[in-house]
Amino acid sequence: MAGKLRISSTLNCDVLVIGAGGAGLRCAAEILEKKPDTKIVAVTKVPHCQKSHTSTAQGGLAAVDPKDPVDKPIYHMFDTWKGSDCMGDQNVIKKIVEAAWEQIVWLENKGMHFSRNEEGGLGKRTFGGHTVRFGEASAYRAVYEADRTGKGIMDSVWGETLRGGISFVNQTIATELLLKDNQCVGAVLFCQRKGKFVAVCAKATVFASGGNGQLFRVTTNCRQNTGDGLAIVLNAGLPVMDPEAVQFHPTGIVGPGILASETLRSVGGILRNKDLEPFMEKYAPKMKELAPRDLVARAIETEIQEGRGILNPDHNIEHVWIDLRHLPDDVHKVQIPEVTSFFKKYINIDPKLHLCPVHPSNHYQMGGIPTNEFGEVCNTDGKIIPGLYAVGECAAASFHGFNRLGTNSILELITMGQFVGERVVESLSDHLPALPGDAGEKSFALFSAYLAQTGKDNLEKIREQSRALMTEKVGVFRTQKGLNQAMEALKALKERAQNTALACSSLKMNPELILRWELDNLLSVSFLTAACALNRRESRGGHARRDFPERKDEFNYHTVAGMTEFATVELKKRAVDMSILESECEHCERFGTIERTY
Amino acid sequence: MQETYEIVLKIRRYDPDSDRSWIHNYQLETGRILRFTDLFRKINTELDSTLAWNSSCEHGQCGTCSVKINGRPMLACELLVENAVEDFETTEFFIEPLTIAPVVRDLIVDFDKAYERIHKIKPYIIKSAENPDSGNEYKISPRHLERFVDATRCINCFCCATACISSHHNFLGPNALMASIVRLMDPREEAIKERIALLYSEEGVYRCHTSKACSFVCPKEIDVAHFIALAKSGDFQSEV
Repeated sequence: MAGKLRISSTLNCDVLVIGAGGAGLRCAAEILEKKPDTKIVAVTKVPHCQKSHTSTAQGGLAAVDPKDPVDKPIYHMFDTWKGSDCMGDQNVIKKIVEAAWEQIVWLENKGMHFSRNEEGGLGKRTFGGHTVRFGEASAYRAVYEADRTGKGIMDSVWGETLRGGISFVNQTIATELLLKDNQCVGAVLFCQRKGKFVAVCAKATVFASGGNGQLFRVTTNCRQNTGDGLAIVLNAGLPVMDPEAVQFHPTGIVGPGILASETLRSVGGILRNKDLEPFMEKYAPKMKELAPRDLVARAIETEIQEGRGILNPDHNIEHVWIDLRHLPDDVHKVQIPEVTSFFKKYINIDPKLHLCPVHPSNHYQMGGIPTNEFGEVCNTDGKIIPGLYAVGECAAASFHGFNRLGTNSILELITMGQFVGERVVESLSDHLPALPGDAGEKSFALFSAYLAQTGKDNLEKIREQSRALMTEKVGVFRTQKGLNQAMEALKALKERAQNTALACSSLKMNPELILRWELDNLLSVSFLTAACALNRRESRGGHARRDFPERKDEFNYHTVAGMTEFATVELKKRAVDMSILESECEHCERFGTIERTY
Repeated sequence: MQETYEIVLKIRRYDPDSDRSWIHNYQLETGRILRFTDLFRKINTELDSTLAWNSSCEHGQCGTCSVKINGRPMLACELLVENAVEDFETTEFFIEPLTIAPVVRDLIVDFDKAYERIHKIKPYIIKSAENPDSGNEYKISPRHLERFVDATRCINCFCCATACISSHHNFLGPNALMASIVRLMDPREEAIKERIALLYSEEGVYRCHTSKACSFVCPKEIDVAHFIALAKSGDFQSEV
């Protein structure tokens, strides 16, 4: 049983890293390399950093090899800018693209097991949206480790930080960011296994808490990605940028949402509705199944919404089919063996003999905690919060704008991770800051209230209703009516969440207590996402409004949204950096507000 | 095709507050392609919100949801109801936590303890070999990589370590050994002597009784025993 909640110990360190995935640990590795005696504490919600979501990334890492006779960084910058639907910040795009290859070599030298070419160098492959000469031809730009590139990165940065003497605090959540005189001085943690609160006093705090895919019912994201990082930042009075920019992958496997790769369509897979009609002809007569991710996702969603989906009884999810039955045996065996094995393993379907059920699956948040190009977190007015950094999927610098290209996400993790590490080392003060006198009070108030709740409502059901609502009304398509309905419904769910007595009041490894906390985070970030989607009366990248289907120049800005109290959203704007266009460099004229057509 | 199943999950529970352990039976009506992680969630939603279990990616890439099901260590996210009924020829399943580390609550074990052995073998390049092409990537032929690439697929789910018939207390275990063997076969590692010393120490490969249980249970279908056999014969460098 829980007595009066209190801080059971205080930890002092130079750098606190919240979230020990690819970005957080690449940052930590950089710090340890530049300043080996730095005391770093890395906190992760999962039982060990190797279980982070980074480990599931499949495809590859985009990086222009300086030895490549054809490819050039300016092409990669252009592809990223165009892909972002003119919302990526050009200073960040330039910085990441130019640093990319050096980071690949770093990873390789640290022991990442990249796939190789015949000469023993790094193998490269093409990926959607990556081209040479501004769209002329596909670029061989993605280096990779078979179909487990993310795992390769994760293992490498884990190893390097371990070697450098980092301290890991596993299966632990951060519940409160500690700010004093507008400076970040650390955070309050809750160690799940021990059931204890720990205050961490740090000269620098790096937020690297990952994505928030669990906001949606069908997602490729891991179970831990419940929007905690963004919620803590909001609670501390800091903003989130572009939460409405969400990417949906067209083909998630029903019901787990596991990603069924683009390759299925590129080798000739055909999407069919319940009447077995090959419907992509209607939406993209020329490119059909090969149209870009967002277009295919919208086509599938339209089929389902217009009643031409099929209901899966086990998972209670409507879907369409992808037909792979006509593909020759060697295609199944050589080109798509992993994905074929996913269908077999997770839904017991042999794609050679049967139609496979797919549904658009939430995949990536382009927005996040607003930072500058060094990962320094900015407040609503754009002012830097000293001592606070953000990196990885939880952050928005913004490299991806409103739509991310495949293979650019893990590139961002490692390049921004390195930049942030560098900046932390440069800025690290000699003195440990003092913690605020009320450190932990917010967390105690929250957790005491959870433990004291009464009522018979069901937490899991509330969560599932919230996620279903988000998929239905704030998902692939959005409308003013739907978004307003979603926001009202989220408010009602927030009320209901308070009427759920916990069956177990222990603090030690109590899954219900954590679920209760996650649910608050989930509802907060869901509400914010819906509110910002409502405000953006246009369609751009991953944000598609049925009632405003065109992109509009008046919305050429980042949304900066604060929400210190649930459902009270404060909206501001941040200009998109156009420094490549404004520079005198060759091809700079291509970086204006261009059409995103393929 | 049978559409629904009536199954019973007998789950070993543990409450750290009272230090009490018991078996709890849950009866479920379930669809055929739900995974065991879905069943645990279903229990949380419909029957018992207190049951504690771990998972992360839930598609076989992270190794967080490993448990013992009817004695066999496996990933709960990869076991479908209809396959479980067919493979185990029963609708009753006894589910226990892994045995390689102390239990924290119910099906959750202390992964910090489990990972101590992995950290001991230093899962990184201890000392980098000289790179003839400094500033660029090392050149490693696809054939050379082929010799050990399978071992790099290990996700440390600890199914092999749980199935291993050698004692857990003084044996590093199959996955930890394999992580070191990878670096012995990797031309980028120079600290060969240090690795060999630990590999052939009291806790090392000779504790292995060659039951090959590790290979048999590996969810990633890695032939773990093959790599341990290479280590026993000291064959790290020969070409295929």
